Amino acid sequence: MLSREQQGLNWLLQWFDPRGRSIGGLAFILNRITALGLVLYLYLHLYYLRQLTMGPQVWNAFIDSAENSPWIGIGELFVIAGGLIHGLNGLRIALNSFNIAVPYQKQLFYGLFTLALIGIAFFAVHMFGA
Amino acid sequence: MSKPHAIVIGAGFTGVAIAHDLALRGFEVTVVERGPIANGTSGRTHGLLHSGGRYAVKDQESAIECIEENTILRKIVPDVIEPNGGMFVAVEESDLEYREEFIAGCEACHIPIEEITPQEALRLEPHLNPKVITAFLVPDGTFDPLRLALAFAATAKSNGAVFHLFTDVVGMVLDGNGNVLGVKVWDRANDERYEIRGDIVVNATGAWVGQITKMAHGHVPITPTPGVMVAYGHRFVQRAINRLVRPSDGDIVLPQRRMAVVGTTSFSVDDVDYIPIIRDQVQMMLERGTKLIPELGTAKVRGIYMATRPLIGSSGPGRSISRTFKAYDHKDLDNIDGLVTITGGKATTCRAMAEKTVDIVCEKLGISAPCTTKEVPLISYRRFYVD
Amino acid sequence: MSDEKWTVTFIIHRQKGPDSQPHFDEFTIEIHPEEFVLDGVEYIWAYKDRSLVFRHACHHTTCGACGMRVNGVEKLACMTKIADVTQDGGKIKLEPLRNFPIVGDLVVDLGPLYRKMHEVHAPEVIPLCASPWEGEGIKPPQETPKREDGEEYIRLPDCIECGLCVSACPTAASDAEYLGPAVLAAIHIQGIDENPDLLALADSREGVWRCHSAYECSAVCPSNVDPAWRIMDLRKQIIARRLKFKK
Repeated sequence: MLSREQQGLNWLLQWFDPRGRSIGGLAFILNRITALGLVLYLYLHLYYLRQLTMGPQVWNAFIDSAENSPWIGIGELFVIAGGLIHGLNGLRIALNSFNIAVPYQKQLFYGLFTLALIGIAFFAVHMFGA
Repeated sequence: MSKPHAIVIGAGFTGVAIAHDLALRGFEVTVVERGPIANGTSGRTHGLLHSGGRYAVKDQESAIECIEENTILRKIVPDVIEPNGGMFVAVEESDLEYREEFIAGCEACHIPIEEITPQEALRLEPHLNPKVITAFLVPDGTFDPLRLALAFAATAKSNGAVFHLFTDVVGMVLDGNGNVLGVKVWDRANDERYEIRGDIVVNATGAWVGQITKMAHGHVPITPTPGVMVAYGHRFVQRAINRLVRPSDGDIVLPQRRMAVVGTTSFSVDDVDYIPIIRDQVQMMLERGTKLIPELGTAKVRGIYMATRPLIGSSGPGRSISRTFKAYDHKDLDNIDGLVTITGGKATTCRAMAEKTVDIVCEKLGISAPCTTKEVPLISYRRFYVD
Repeated sequence: MSDEKWTVTFIIHRQKGPDSQPHFDEFTIEIHPEEFVLDGVEYIWAYKDRSLVFRHACHHTTCGACGMRVNGVEKLACMTKIADVTQDGGKIKLEPLRNFPIVGDLVVDLGPLYRKMHEVHAPEVIPLCASPWEGEGIKPPQETPKREDGEEYIRLPDCIECGLCVSACPTAASDAEYLGPAVLAAIHIQGIDENPDLLALADSREGVWRCHSAYECSAVCPSNVDPAWRIMDLRKQIIARRLKFKK
């Protein structure tokens, strides 16, 4: 009920500061962080795809360097993590918005977050294992 | 001719009702309150809109005031009242000794009562002690303390009254003869000090009237008498349940939102700014309350608080002092002009207290303006914040 | 019950007027662990620092005046036991509610909330049947006893307009126009079927669609209003209307 001018940067702090937040608030923070991460990934993705327009040599060179860099793999795992957490939490919020399972939103978050963690572990093993 | 300017000290029930009355009678009104609205005794009241039944035997003056004002408040400020009635119940054979006196007292004070059977009482209030022997229905009610005060304040404000909250009166502005010309105040929210001058200062500070009159070198007889209230987190009853006995400790259980509030006690103190919670009294509230509502102890305690009644007079134990009110012109009391003090009374009678006080103010200033607060409905309490 | 008192340090947000620089003051007092945070604040005002300003009235959760942040979480100070928020020798940090204009120290101006509650004509007293029994969440009571004259009992509503939900809501933090949890709950209780003006408000840009499902409002609500559930139920009702499930 305060205007942006009155709030200053307080609103930003309230969006991301986990202190004193309940499970619902922590899920809200995670959703914002993963969303920002996915948006950042989308722009990086488009930026590198641009190299397709520069001919096959440029693209092949980029693919070679990407395959040799461990950072790309770690980055991809972050994308997978972000996608799973954001997507599954989105499912929870969508269900809740039809007033389904609102009294169980905490349990729903625990369950779906566990599912996301299992998924992340699966992909981590698949990508980096043995 | 410009409007006469009245300064009201205190924004408890009495202060806001006086501000409302003064504003209706054409005064320019300034209210000075050291905290927010109703932060002292008023906020911490039990919330019982008295039918007068409680005082019908021993304190009929107060009982008659209560039944009259009860009827008026229901009419002028229905938004903050649960008009569900009240019940006086006898739960032990000894309670029946009071029955005849109670019936006679209520009749003398014109309080409408109806005796009902124990079965009927238990049907209406299923959580009541099943040992109930007899019960009377009375026109009690329950009110929301803060919002009752806010409704008066909102109406006063809409009629031009100005409220200075979080502003302490730290001294009096006196003329050479010791008469009061205004007040020296300290705005604690902004840490500013200034003076307000007016034609009359009304001291409506309840249990704190002595501190204000002292600043003007006057005096007023007052006995601050605190009592404890305990709020349990379950609405066991839908109406005010009173024990059919002479007013005693822990003999009333009230519904308040989702709670049941048990009260109260009565003892004397000197320092009224901070009353520590007395654990033994809390325990006593549970024991006494359980006699009316056996399941009381199964609910969690949600709040415990002490409120200090401003009883007039200066001697005798609290229960023996009348609950009526008194307005003093300090010209008569201490030969100090410009200061009127009102104290005593009950939340239920705040409108009548204001009427009496403003009558004195008008007489002092030679103003003839009739009181209209009996008829004028109050506006929504929210309008205090909606300009 | 033991009479032993604890030594507790209150760290209190201080600010004189809306435009001055805030700072924190520390007060160490002896207090019984079964007493409430509000008792500690009143004690500090009575004996340590008379300049402290704070809101309070009923001291038993019926008025909603004493909302503040206790160790970073929105609470009614009158029902928050010392023992539940600190330990002997510990600290309690007190700050004013967020997302409201500061008046001074621990006091904010709840005017914006009261104005919005006024706009949606939130009822001041409601029939008992419109309020749930204890322990049954937000379902209406199975059986509402009638008064002897056949009329229904009425009671004060659950929402005490304390502002805790608005302070805890991250959406309210970034959008001054958002109706907010308490106001949307007040719309839900009255019903959008019966109140076309409220339907328009709830189904507006600053209505139910603005909520971002942090559920903090229901987590801090001291009075069983459960605004988050009510907002989600409003969404369901509005979607059903759009899909013509409902006329």
